Amino acid sequence: MSKLTPPHFVRAASRRAFLANAGTGFGALALGSLLAGDGVAAAVKGRNAMAAKQPHYAPKAKSVIWLFMEGGPSHIDLFDPKPELKRLSGQPLPPSFGKVITAMGTSNNTLMPSQRTFKQFGQSGQWVSDWYPHIAQKMDDIAVLRSCQADGLNHVGSVCQMNTGSILAGRPSLGSWVQYGLGAANENLPAFVILTDEKEVLGGPNNWSNGFLPATYQGTLFRNEGPPILDVLPPKTIGNDQQRGKLDLMASLNGHFGRDKQTDLDLESRIQSYELAYRMQSAAPEAVDLAKESEATKNLYGMDEEITEKFGRNCLLARRLVERGVRFIELYCSSGSGWDAHVDMEENHSKNCKISDKPIAGLLADLKARGLLNDTLVIWGGEFGRTPFNEKGKGRDHNPWGFTTWFAGGGVKPGQTVGSTDELGLRAVDRPAHVHDIHATILHLMGLNHIDLTYLHNGRFERPTIVAGTVVNELLA
Amino acid sequence: MNLRKLTLSLIGFGLALAAFSAESGEKEIFTPVQLRHWSLQKVAKRAVPLVQRKDWVATPVDAFILGKLEARGLTPSKEADRVTLLRRVSLDLTGLPPTPEEVDAFISDQSPKAWEKLIDRLLASPHYGERWGRHWLDVARFAESQGFKADETRPDAWRYRDYVIDSFNADKPYNRFIREQIAGDELWPNVAEARIATAFNRHYPDEYNARNLMQRRQDILNEVTNVVGSAFLGLTVECAQCHNHKFDAISHKDYYSLQAFFANTAADDRIVVAAPQQIQEHERKLALWEGKTREIREDISAILAPARKKIWDDFFDKYPPEVQEAITKPESERTPYEAQLYHQAKLYLEPTKDDVVKSLRGPEKQRYQAFAKKLQEFAVLHPGDLPRGSGMRDISAQAPVTHVLAGGTYLGRQQPVQPAFLSALASELPKIEPSANGSSTGRRTALANWLASPENPLAARVMVNRVWSHHFGQGLVASPNDFGVMGKRPSHPELLDWMTTEFVQNGWSIKTLHKVILMSNTYQQASAHREDAAKEDSTNRLLWRFPRNRLDAEAIRDSAIHVAGVLNSKIGGPSVFPVLPENMLTPRGGWSKSPTAEENYRRSVYIFVRRNTPYPLLKALDFPDTNMSCGRRDQTITSPQALSLLNDRAAIDWAQNFAGRVLGKAGLDSKLQVETAYLLAYSRKPDGWETDTVLTFLEKQSKVIQNRIAKGESIALPTNVPEKAEPARLAALVDFCHSLLNSNEFVYQQ
Repeated sequence: MSKLTPPHFVRAASRRAFLANAGTGFGALALGSLLAGDGVAAAVKGRNAMAAKQPHYAPKAKSVIWLFMEGGPSHIDLFDPKPELKRLSGQPLPPSFGKVITAMGTSNNTLMPSQRTFKQFGQSGQWVSDWYPHIAQKMDDIAVLRSCQADGLNHVGSVCQMNTGSILAGRPSLGSWVQYGLGAANENLPAFVILTDEKEVLGGPNNWSNGFLPATYQGTLFRNEGPPILDVLPPKTIGNDQQRGKLDLMASLNGHFGRDKQTDLDLESRIQSYELAYRMQSAAPEAVDLAKESEATKNLYGMDEEITEKFGRNCLLARRLVERGVRFIELYCSSGSGWDAHVDMEENHSKNCKISDKPIAGLLADLKARGLLNDTLVIWGGEFGRTPFNEKGKGRDHNPWGFTTWFAGGGVKPGQTVGSTDELGLRAVDRPAHVHDIHATILHLMGLNHIDLTYLHNGRFERPTIVAGTVVNELLA
Repeated sequence: MNLRKLTLSLIGFGLALAAFSAESGEKEIFTPVQLRHWSLQKVAKRAVPLVQRKDWVATPVDAFILGKLEARGLTPSKEADRVTLLRRVSLDLTGLPPTPEEVDAFISDQSPKAWEKLIDRLLASPHYGERWGRHWLDVARFAESQGFKADETRPDAWRYRDYVIDSFNADKPYNRFIREQIAGDELWPNVAEARIATAFNRHYPDEYNARNLMQRRQDILNEVTNVVGSAFLGLTVECAQCHNHKFDAISHKDYYSLQAFFANTAADDRIVVAAPQQIQEHERKLALWEGKTREIREDISAILAPARKKIWDDFFDKYPPEVQEAITKPESERTPYEAQLYHQAKLYLEPTKDDVVKSLRGPEKQRYQAFAKKLQEFAVLHPGDLPRGSGMRDISAQAPVTHVLAGGTYLGRQQPVQPAFLSALASELPKIEPSANGSSTGRRTALANWLASPENPLAARVMVNRVWSHHFGQGLVASPNDFGVMGKRPSHPELLDWMTTEFVQNGWSIKTLHKVILMSNTYQQASAHREDAAKEDSTNRLLWRFPRNRLDAEAIRDSAIHVAGVLNSKIGGPSVFPVLPENMLTPRGGWSKSPTAEENYRRSVYIFVRRNTPYPLLKALDFPDTNMSCGRRDQTITSPQALSLLNDRAAIDWAQNFAGRVLGKAGLDSKLQVETAYLLAYSRKPDGWETDTVLTFLEKQSKVIQNRIAKGESIALPTNVPEKAEPARLAALVDFCHSLLNSNEFVYQQ
């Protein structure tokens, strides 16, 4: 049973040790007897499921910030220039490329070159288009992976896969696996936080679901206004002193009830869960309160300009959450599939790049200046890229066969480009990296081996990468 | 030792042999160890064991339990006190605690039959079906929306929920329940209820927006196969989707042979739920209306034709060539496979009139509106739509060929297979005859009859274990959806077989099974910890005491509403939408506003199940993910649960109602208030310490609230405010009542 006990489940050495642990947990204090799924673990009750756990090996990254450009940013207009497209402009996809099924049935449309200008930047000389002038200045901090691959044609399946490994909903999100594997560093806050800037992410909570893992490990969507977590504060009719009084009464009554049931650690855990809830009442609003951030910092993130204000705010929040020990933060940019440029690449991406460019560059600069970039893994990407052939004349269709994701910070070897797509940017050619490989790499950087991180569910030791996944070693420092 | 490696080394050798012989006869590819696995063996007639303490044996169940205890030198616990027993069994069977009147009645009933009468009363309560139906809905991954992107509503899905509740209340024989859900449309085509039952296989998550209809069809078929395997056989057949099962005796071919029973199915969302006369009457009125409106409707059709064509073209263009070909072929030339693709595509190519109208713009729209107005004049003659339901059916008597699929994808076609039962369980081939009216393959009838046969070693056993599992919080097999090699071994295999035999002999009656279990002394034990017994069996696997368990999400919410005195006992009907937490955005797919406040107080089983966004309070308390069958819920303890029960406006509202109810019964006498609240919430009076503690609290809390009032802040008052009462004191009473609803004693069944 060692696979499921240490490092993932620390059995409290004593009741005292347990209570010492339990007193600081955010999410779960105990999982009854079901922690290992389908009742595999012996009924060791009262374990603190969110207590910090030993990783498999020394982690390079303590936290992840995933900048998710939802809707599918065009790799061939941003980080993966394709001069050949200019030459073949207006012609159909050469027959040598074979049959392609796309979401919108556009594969017979003619090839459309990028209208952007690409240049090389930094010591590393990596290519970036003029849509991302601020990020271009950070290319020496960034490793670009040009050969990503995914399985889905549609947004919802693809966003789901980028989060859970499967295009079908129901599996745990990577952030949930990380919580399961590592516990929380600050248990007064959720360890897995989702930030959105516009509409609901396609597929909604399926993307930060705990799947078959216990509910403890689900991600928490932060609201953009007011208290960040639903129900974190009592209604206006209940004052803070009053709430405290109520909790004290409950603790007394629960203690009285439990006086002859001290072996049942669940009862004690439940008392502690209310104390935690009470602490979160102040910890969560404090984490999102930007009052103490200087104007200079806010401006670094573009919060002084209307177009960058919203996403900039979320990037700044992400840094604050990293400082407070939150393990996994996902920021959806133009959430609700805003990057989905079917109709007009120029119009769509001009706007979305503007929204994201300065805030992301600001985030990288701020993390670096504060010494946080070394142990924070920053990821940029979407659920897929876009096709080299046009849609409706000026747009591009979905492309899961070859697209770009980039990485910076904790444990990443910066200033390099890994992998490639074919001459037209349709398919990954050199060093293809499937979503599972990306997941394996992220987990590796966090100190977790994707093969050993297992949970018995319906007769199978499930793992984040299902049956696949290899670490993209080229990305590692 | 690493469990995974241990397991692999134990059975790995045999499996290695198995993997190399996939081409030989199916049964030969399994190792003897696999074929001897306990759950695949026929249910054996078991003799009731002899035990020493015969006086403790109230039913044969006790003899099996006691036999194991005595073998380990253990004794069972004493009987729980009567109030505890009443609370336990009420929560267990109805999901609601007893009222003070029910407590009095039970305590004062001195007859030796009091316990049995109580069980009979609870089993006869309509709340029984609401409670136990919900357990089955977990298994059926019941949801009322598609999931995926837009999470579109399935407007008639609730009828299946009502079907399940009604079936439990009617004590429908489980073998009939199986047959209706698998093949109700074939077996009882004229019984609406049986056709609604087929919605069991209609609850799959669906990418409504898919273009690649080949993949979509395969995803659905896989999902349906997997859930049938988990629900009825307790087997993880999904592991054989890409290769032979790594542990169980299920081959890659078995998987697709099982899937082949469903090869020609499709959603049937137009099931008429009406009596024949009602249908006739409807047709008569409709014909009249049609006669009077023929010309107007023809004009409207002409106006809509171009928009209709545009929608058709838009969809058509986006489909891959295979699908386009299936669409354009004349019906007579379509293969059954193409007919499947066409059937799916048709839903989008031929949109409803409403959807066409929505796409109209400018002058076309105005012209349409003018005619629509004319048509409206005849609206009084229109009989309205007949009530509809959703289910599953075959689209014809000719099924497409099913292939073994490499890697589980539709692109990996290997050899064709016929429908067949799992080869390790049955050597006979299914007898398949197309249904009498020639509209269905008859395949599912064969499957249903096999599943529901007493010869099937799994179906009845799996269900008996589910029932036991909900009574004790843990099954005799602790993995109710996995009776395979990787699942848990039964703690009491003989008891499981004995109960299964009884179950089948008693006509697959679930209510009789409940009684067999509930009449036992095993069930009636106290839950107190005993150090001596714990030393020997720390996890209580042998049941030397009754296990203490946290109530599930629905029972916590429903109990609170019931104690607050506002439970709306209405049974069945379309789902309700109780208030969401303050500031929560409306989830994609929508969250209607329930028309009346009373709808907020319906039982939780009636809350709309939006697949992507389950009702947050239930979700926090481990409501399962409806993307998969759930045999056993987690029981977590988390601070988000505390936040929901403490701060959610719904929870505060229950407390206000509860306090109002207490005031109505006890008036302003503080001591009597405390006593009344305890009786309502805990079914008992407070002890001296508790009374003192609460009275002190009320005193202190009133002062805190008085300060708020002085500062002009708002407070939460009981729903029923007596004259001359001091507001701060009333608000303190709300806080006390709220504390009770949050307390451990309230949320634990013991």
